[in-house]
Amino acid sequence: MAETLQNLALGFSVAFQPTVLLYAFVGCLIGTLVGVLPGVGPLAGISLLLPATFGLSATTAIVLLAGIYYGAMYGGSTTSILMRIPGEAASVVTCLDGYAMTRLGRAGPALGISAFGSYIAGTVSVVALMFFAPPLARFALRFGPPEYTALLVLGLLVLGYMGSGSMIKSLAMAVLGLFFGMIGIDPMSGFFRFSYGIVELGDGIGVVPVAVGLFGIAEILATAGQETPPQVQKPRLRDLLPSREEWRASFAPIGRGTVVGFLIGLIPGSAHIISTFVSYALERKLSKHPERFGQGAIEGVAGPESANNAAVCGAFVPMLALGVPSGPVPAVMMAAMMIHGVSPGPLLIQQQPELFWGFIASMYVGNVVLLILNLPLVGLFVNLLRVPYRILYPSILLFCVLGVYAVNSSVVDVWIMTFMGLLGYLLHKFDFETAPVVLGVVLAPMLEMSLRQSLAMSHGSYSIFVGRPIAATMLLVAFTLLVVGLKPLLPHGTDWRKRLGLADRSE
Amino acid sequence: MKGLWRHPFYLFGFFFVLLASWSPVVAQEQYPSRAIQMIVPFPPGGVADLTARPVAATMEKILKQPVVVVNKTGAAGAVGMSFVANSKPDGYTTLMALSSISIIPEADKLFARKPAYTMDQLIPIALISADPTIFVVRADHPWKSVKEFVEAAKKRPGEISYSSSGVYGTLHMATELFAHAAGIQLNHIPYSGAGPALTAILGGHVDGLASGPAVIAPHIKAGKLRPLAGWGAKRVAALPDVPTFKELGYDIEFYIWAGLFVPTATPAPVVKTLRDAVRQTVNSAEFKTAMEKIETPIAYLDAPEFQKFWDKDAKMLAAAVKRIGRVEIQEAK
Repeated sequence: MAETLQNLALGFSVAFQPTVLLYAFVGCLIGTLVGVLPGVGPLAGISLLLPATFGLSATTAIVLLAGIYYGAMYGGSTTSILMRIPGEAASVVTCLDGYAMTRLGRAGPALGISAFGSYIAGTVSVVALMFFAPPLARFALRFGPPEYTALLVLGLLVLGYMGSGSMIKSLAMAVLGLFFGMIGIDPMSGFFRFSYGIVELGDGIGVVPVAVGLFGIAEILATAGQETPPQVQKPRLRDLLPSREEWRASFAPIGRGTVVGFLIGLIPGSAHIISTFVSYALERKLSKHPERFGQGAIEGVAGPESANNAAVCGAFVPMLALGVPSGPVPAVMMAAMMIHGVSPGPLLIQQQPELFWGFIASMYVGNVVLLILNLPLVGLFVNLLRVPYRILYPSILLFCVLGVYAVNSSVVDVWIMTFMGLLGYLLHKFDFETAPVVLGVVLAPMLEMSLRQSLAMSHGSYSIFVGRPIAATMLLVAFTLLVVGLKPLLPHGTDWRKRLGLADRSE
Repeated sequence: MKGLWRHPFYLFGFFFVLLASWSPVVAQEQYPSRAIQMIVPFPPGGVADLTARPVAATMEKILKQPVVVVNKTGAAGAVGMSFVANSKPDGYTTLMALSSISIIPEADKLFARKPAYTMDQLIPIALISADPTIFVVRADHPWKSVKEFVEAAKKRPGEISYSSSGVYGTLHMATELFAHAAGIQLNHIPYSGAGPALTAILGGHVDGLASGPAVIAPHIKAGKLRPLAGWGAKRVAALPDVPTFKELGYDIEFYIWAGLFVPTATPAPVVKTLRDAVRQTVNSAEFKTAMEKIETPIAYLDAPEFQKFWDKDAKMLAAAVKRIGRVEIQEAK
């Protein structure tokens, strides 16, 4: 303990060096902007800026890149809340209730709670990272393909709780998403499936074009199709901050989102996007008024937004403690370390204490910077809503195309986005929820890979899922959830859906 | 605003633009006259990317034109490679490719699909680096040498598992070359990239892995992984105690190499300019320091020697792909 504090003091002495402080600030700023730009997420942002760090020292480079990472996680929520356009994939869930809040004139509080939740989640997770990194990392490594499969099965069950309308419709959308996820190279045999000679489809359909298309483009099309243009909002100053009830309602979701996000973030290879879906489903399940979700429930913003920032921190744990590239973004950051002559590995903490503790301290600082930076920006961003739609929407369309293209320099991605936009528009007209499609696209390739890896490990025997304690426990939880989930289907159930149905009819 | 468009200045500007768009044709002799793209068909932070960046940075100074690294990823590199293979052969689009350049067309043949590109669409400029892969097992396994490993594998055919960066990927190829030479059968568990493959062995979900020395060395030093042998012709400087497969009597060699390519129809003078620029690059102190930092040995070969090296390497890989054949899906049994 005393040693940790001593080390932390060393870290802060590094983090408060003017240059390091400056780069933490620059990182957060760039990250926020990268997050705001539709499509361009943390991976694209960090990749684009990696060459720019070549001239810096190892510590400043890592601090800058980490700032971009968590800055982007926060920034991604901005366009989700204001315009229903996910700035990056992990902000898809935020579109649901964040945008609904904007429609109710509560854009300010949504952005505010998102900034505050990100701050709490970021800070709490750094504490966890600081004290428990090595044991947590060893635990995370125990997640092999079978455990991963079990986790993803749990994730699939979450789908059932996503939509606010008909359960059948949301399951149908999830299946559609899973179908899209089957496109691409068969991971075990190398066979191209459903690619029709288009090489780019070999990698499958990316989450980014799907999310931007189904949400952003579809929303623009839907708005353009309205007979009367939507009212341009004129937010007032006193509406910028969350009200007392909103604070109260958000507190527990922020806490739960932090825990869920951090734990899911720990697991190598898992995407932040899953943590946001799980957090959303959890909040909805625990809420006394689940019918409010999708209609502007602040819990639906606070939970997932905290979760994705906590997941960033979680992903750093295996990277720093063991030198394991726990995801695409940590992999790029490890490359950045290598370029500076630091080889990331299990001995990093001992061999490079200034780097490790400087990094930890810079994350405390960075989270404060992010909050200071973003609270005033809330006012600025909310004022974007004053821009008339005839100017705003064409510009957004332009940014969507630019952002989606920039990720892989791929025109095919732009076409996928366009197709998804048209599909999203039609689905919107027929009253289908599109969020489950995105989750399906994310889960399908991961589930397929881990299921088939597990079976390759066990030579085709399914007993591998029962014989390993973590996997078995998770599957048991999944099974229990399924049984609980089936209960409302029994007759006489006074399920909220039914209550909602009654309310609808009485209107 | 409208009035402005009638201003003669814009007419002048229009001609200027016309002239500018012409100049590359006129200035064919003075290649390069504008920015050169260096396409990396893999994501940032990988071997190809880490090699391309210092090459580009140094070449820029020699050619006096920007050399821009563009990561054009997808389908295990096939997207970027086919992009360069089908681009205009003017020397402004170059490719930093890895050994897998020879594998993809073979895999395409195997599945009788339209190839993304063929190898005769590209000609080599120079080989930049070649890193022999190292075979490691988990340190808590009893196998101390290749001999013990092979004996164990013969007793339990198909039981000992290894992870790879993906089916028909470089790490898969390397291990299969060894398995074939030793006459053993291993259980291949493909992952989506070298990072996850490393994570898998560290987590104890597979038994063995072939990997580049730079990535694996910290984990060997920390006592988590034990190196058994390397695929190089010589021992790796960072791991002097690790024998090569050749020393142990297996006639196999495998490198993850990175080389620069251009489309085949690129004019000879342009190719010569690029070759000269790369030669100066690899000899510069700046480039040497950069490569030392990423712990990747420079293995420069000029175009003619590289062509020979490539032909030999490609032939060997083609044979290996054919031998592996279409992957038999174990779970379907």
